[in-house]
Amino acid sequence: MLLPSYYEFCVRVKTISGHRALEKIPGALEKLGATCPMIITDKGVAGAGLVKLVSSAMKSKGTNVKTGAVYDDVPADSDLKVIKIVTDLYRKKKCDSIIAVGGGSVMDTAKGVNILASMGGDDIMDYAGSNAVKEKLKPLIAIPTTSGTGSEVTLVAVIADHENNVKIPFTSYFLLPDVAVLDSRMTRTLPPVITAFTGMDAMTHACEAYNCLGKNPLSDTTALSAIRLISRNLLRVVKKPGDLDGRLALANGAILAGMAFSNSMVGLVHNLGHATGGVCGVPHGICMSILLPYGLEYNLHRTANLTGELLFALAGEEVYAATPKKERAEAAIAYIRQMNQDLHDATGGGHARFFNEVKNRDGDLMVPKDKLPDIARTAMGDGAKIYNPEEISYRDGLMVMEHAWEGIPLNLKKVSKGRRGQKF
Amino acid sequence: MNISNYPEIKPGIKYFKRIYIAVMLFVVGRAIQAAARVDKEVKQEFENFRDGFTFCLGVMPGGPYMLVGKDEKGRVKYLGWKKGPHKLTVDMKIKNTEAAFLVFTFQESTATAYAHDRFVVDGDLIDGLAIVRILGLVEVYLLPKIIAKLAVKRYPKWSEMSPLRKYFNRTLIYTRTLLGF
Repeated sequence: MLLPSYYEFCVRVKTISGHRALEKIPGALEKLGATCPMIITDKGVAGAGLVKLVSSAMKSKGTNVKTGAVYDDVPADSDLKVIKIVTDLYRKKKCDSIIAVGGGSVMDTAKGVNILASMGGDDIMDYAGSNAVKEKLKPLIAIPTTSGTGSEVTLVAVIADHENNVKIPFTSYFLLPDVAVLDSRMTRTLPPVITAFTGMDAMTHACEAYNCLGKNPLSDTTALSAIRLISRNLLRVVKKPGDLDGRLALANGAILAGMAFSNSMVGLVHNLGHATGGVCGVPHGICMSILLPYGLEYNLHRTANLTGELLFALAGEEVYAATPKKERAEAAIAYIRQMNQDLHDATGGGHARFFNEVKNRDGDLMVPKDKLPDIARTAMGDGAKIYNPEEISYRDGLMVMEHAWEGIPLNLKKVSKGRRGQKF
Repeated sequence: MNISNYPEIKPGIKYFKRIYIAVMLFVVGRAIQAAARVDKEVKQEFENFRDGFTFCLGVMPGGPYMLVGKDEKGRVKYLGWKKGPHKLTVDMKIKNTEAAFLVFTFQESTATAYAHDRFVVDGDLIDGLAIVRILGLVEVYLLPKIIAKLAVKRYPKWSEMSPLRKYFNRTLIYTRTLLGF
């Protein structure tokens, strides 16, 4: 295991995991000194009956905890204006804590509301950027309803400013939720297509965390555990959505992957994935699942040994031992491509393998080929490129996107190579 | 126990390291000013910044610093080593003298330093990344290849920077850096 010359690792989130974990929430809130939580969620989660599940699980004898307010209209990628609206409701109802029930956007909105509600003021932009939040916030409990985001253990919130068409990052250790609750009931009704791409989102977090410049022994351990859980359970759960043990395993895989990437950062896959999402509106998980094999191929000349080690977690000890060392990296990438193929078959073509398969509800291509230069240009302004082992220029980004669009493996001769072998 | 019997131990000032870092920041600041006039890529990066853009690179908590800015006429200027009078668009701070010494002696590349959480950056991320690209180009011009390869992630190939461009621009940048224009 690689030991870098320096690293930092912090996960201060208490994790409660189980088939009946929601029932622990009142006790967790009381320990944090809170009795009047606000539930923040979105229409999809509320419509699936998950908020009712949380509310009924919170009703227990002898507890002083009572839901103060519910806001269920968080938009798809969060919004600055929504933060203000929700904070006003929080203050009006005199809430003292937040329970976030949902995916990444809900978690980011909840973190944003927590900043404003705890620090005061009316403009969240006063706290934008890195380490602008310098004191402990109100209690925040995170209950993920997708098994991919990992936002329940990250110190980042990304909130969209739709007026100016930009996404604003907020980063601080104080944004970490106090408690993350993983309950298999929260993802039981997640449709197979969404299960597939959110699972691959978590896989991407783990694989990139293992390969990028911020890697360290603690993030490596969580990343490998995440990869093992996801590779053993994802296809099984897509084929049998009611498998609660599988659902819990995926939720644990996602949180472990979140711990990994939050502390070691990510690289090319997220760099191009964020840009694709920003330019073409493609959901984050779909971008991740398509770009993951390309990201590993792009960095192969620098991180072949590390990618080869992923094969152990992906395919198991027998496949790992039977594969010659020189071939393990390619075998790991091929395994991930095969996972995408199997998910594509299991979802009846719903899980996209390449960008020219990604279509919207009207059947139109979401990533037209003429948008690829815009995506490559937008990616130049994304911070994830700093942590990628190899430099990514505009031409490199465009080259990778063209391959990912066509669905052909990356031509390694076209990759401009810097230093060979990893130096971390 | 009589507390006045115990002398107050003050941390060392690390004179040599601070002077070395100050000299490096001074040279890099003047070199950025020079490169903005000489190299088309650096010029293009600065054209994407608005007029009045000012960035600072320095060491916490109290310096040394280097400030570079773009005036109302769009000219890039080295603004000195004092933070006070300038409104900063991007403020990049290295967390301590030891971390800054690692970066400026190229024991850690800029990217590795970011991964090791050596930097605090206040300001727009897109501008911050552009500054990292500018610093990379300036390092390629200022340093011999064997050292520049330690500082940047990927040393430019001939197709990205021809030897003619590199050596010609290097001469101009060194001249302008020494003479300050």
